[in-house]
Amino acid sequence: MFLTALKKDARYFQILFQTIFLGYGIIYLGWKAEWWLYTTYFTCSIITQLGFEFLLGKKEIAYWKRTRFSLPSVLISSFGLSLLLKTNHLEVAALAAFISIASKFLIKIKGKHIFNPSALGIVAAIFLTDKAWFSPGQWGSSTVILFGVCCLGIIIVTKVQKLDTSLAFLGTFAALLFIRQIIYLGWPLDFFVQSISTGSLLLFSFFMITDPKTTPNHTAARIIWSMLVAAVAFYLTTFKFINGAPVWVLVCMQPIVPVLDYFFKAKKFEWKPSSSLNKKEQTFLNTVYNNVSI
Amino acid sequence: MKKKLLIIGAVIAVSPVLYSFCGFYVSKADGTLKNKTSQVILVRDGNKNVITMYNDFKGDTKDFAMVVPVPVVLRKDDIKVVDQSIFQRLNDYSAPRLVEYWDQNPCYGYEKEDMIQRKSVSASMAEVTVAGALRGKVAGVKIEAKYLIGEYDILILSAKESGGLKDWLNENGYKIPEGAEEVLDPYIKSNLKFFVVKVNEKEKKKLNNNFLRPIQISFNSPKFMLPIRLGMANADGDQDLIVYAFTRKGRIECTNYRNVNIVTGNNVPLFVQKNFGAFYGNLFTHQWDKEDKSAAFLEYAWNVTPVNQMKCDPCVGNPPTEYDLVQCGVWWLGNKDWSDYSDVDNEEPDNGSKNVHFTRLHFRYNRKSFAQDLMFQVTPNTENYQARYVITHPATGDFTCDAGKKYLQDLKTRRKKELRELTALTGTNINNWQDEATAKDDEETVVEAQYATLLPQIKNETEKRGSTGLILFSALLLGSAGFLKWKGFV
Repeated sequence: MFLTALKKDARYFQILFQTIFLGYGIIYLGWKAEWWLYTTYFTCSIITQLGFEFLLGKKEIAYWKRTRFSLPSVLISSFGLSLLLKTNHLEVAALAAFISIASKFLIKIKGKHIFNPSALGIVAAIFLTDKAWFSPGQWGSSTVILFGVCCLGIIIVTKVQKLDTSLAFLGTFAALLFIRQIIYLGWPLDFFVQSISTGSLLLFSFFMITDPKTTPNHTAARIIWSMLVAAVAFYLTTFKFINGAPVWVLVCMQPIVPVLDYFFKAKKFEWKPSSSLNKKEQTFLNTVYNNVSI
Repeated sequence: MKKKLLIIGAVIAVSPVLYSFCGFYVSKADGTLKNKTSQVILVRDGNKNVITMYNDFKGDTKDFAMVVPVPVVLRKDDIKVVDQSIFQRLNDYSAPRLVEYWDQNPCYGYEKEDMIQRKSVSASMAEVTVAGALRGKVAGVKIEAKYLIGEYDILILSAKESGGLKDWLNENGYKIPEGAEEVLDPYIKSNLKFFVVKVNEKEKKKLNNNFLRPIQISFNSPKFMLPIRLGMANADGDQDLIVYAFTRKGRIECTNYRNVNIVTGNNVPLFVQKNFGAFYGNLFTHQWDKEDKSAAFLEYAWNVTPVNQMKCDPCVGNPPTEYDLVQCGVWWLGNKDWSDYSDVDNEEPDNGSKNVHFTRLHFRYNRKSFAQDLMFQVTPNTENYQARYVITHPATGDFTCDAGKKYLQDLKTRRKKELRELTALTGTNINNWQDEATAKDDEETVVEAQYATLLPQIKNETEKRGSTGLILFSALLLGSAGFLKWKGFV
């Protein structure tokens, strides 16, 4: 039953993986004191989703069907916030969660929302309140993390058919860092390995930039766009010393996506045909996907 | 049970052999130099940085030299010497602390008078030696500036390639440690300058003291970092570094290493008081081991704004005064007369706030676990934090009343827990504490609740637990083997 669900919808893989990651943080890295923060992110996101779905959702599809279908996405956004955004203030956490989810309903073009929910929530909380911060130094840099995130990340991304986005971003970012740090400056290899083996970079590459709703539909456009995000993020990280640059760049570059979609015509994202999915189920998923704010 | 807070103590643990945090030290005499813990004060707001480096050089001052990579050519006004006692004050104030409580006898109440006790072992930083006068110019090395500040001759060098810089230092009598050239190269290509410090003997004699005062530099740079890699060039072990940071907004955080709050608030046995330094030293080493030897440990974080009354709970010493903070380089507190950094004040963001947040981070690094320099960020995290450990004196007297009997039971349980906590925190074997737990120091306590009585019981417990675990594990293995056999897998 559980396995069937996993095969039908890649989002369950993401949730499973993010749960493992958050669990690892709570159990092994000692993030125990922040339970209230996670609770706020999850509660607020779910309430916001339920509310907006009730007010603005497509009435053709039953409310319970819409909410059931969008719930996994809400959980993924909440995990994204939990894993990347720190604050000491409950109201800031609530605001971040609200902005993430609300943006899906309020800022959209042709059924696609513009901003990645958790990326926008993070940026808005940091920028608007100055009481939240991005914490790249909470992971450590052990190769175990690198290995775990890469392996699991690849599984997830293949399931959702978006390995191209992740690899284009991560490949470009890593290649530029390698050229700068090893070839140009002459640092030893472990210097470079430490730069790319941070939990936040890998989470970003595999769970944030991959969102099919907020990336270009056309494959070539998507790859060029990801590489562009990587290049700008590299510049800001290396020369302007900005922490969490990929997330800032992602938010700034998302308004380009509708423009790219206009010039590069492609079919909208199609739910992946899977052996475990019959024709009827597939049609249903595609209809819901294109009509529900997930 | 009623408890009364009575004694406070503070200690900093010192690791014996350590080198400098930020520069490499060049030596004339090979491999004889011993270094201790480095200390540095960082002040940061906007893009402005003030860095104060502590010197505890014990040898002939003629032999002292220090090389620090800096992002810009510093002007004379950007460099000054400050009073070295400021480091002692910051250390005493922010060091991990031991808090002492007294139980009251439930059969009758009594009180003891307050006592304040403080222990402190100073930490220090070390340097090395140089000889010979500056000689001719070597290709690719340029002396950008030359200053005499206090007792120091200061040069700011820029170089085009590490070979040239190495030759220059060699020709001028600086002995370059093994491996330094490899580290110099990335710095030169990152366009860093080299801040080279020597002692001016003539000026030193005028001062008539036997120590070197800390050097404070100030500059504007978006980079908020400490270059530790150069200091590792001649390091053959783990080096300790204490960072005292002051910001206007909140705590600082390391961005390229994991931030760990050192464990705090634990109840530990009474005898820890006898050697709190050793206890904390063991504790730190154990925690550091547990965190893969690659983390920034938070030991203290508090809003120390002069108008803020509550600066610790409990306080170990007097909080830094406004004058102390200004000495540390907290420029936004200084009045207009204090204008040493007027030249770099232009870009200073001034939101009118006089807030000062104090963060104390403790690093123990080596080449293997710390591939990169330390990068930091100022966060809006204003939560207070301090490393504190609690000891509790038992009540004395007659415990024949019902409440007294219950108290004795609770006391035994609590003390066993303390012993277990002690071994868990420090990662040491319970046997190691046999001598400390002697009945002689604990003789006021009822015999059955003395650490010396309880310790063997704990020992038995752990051994028993060990053997139970082994039996269970073997049973599990046998069980699985049997299951596989039964299912026909083997």
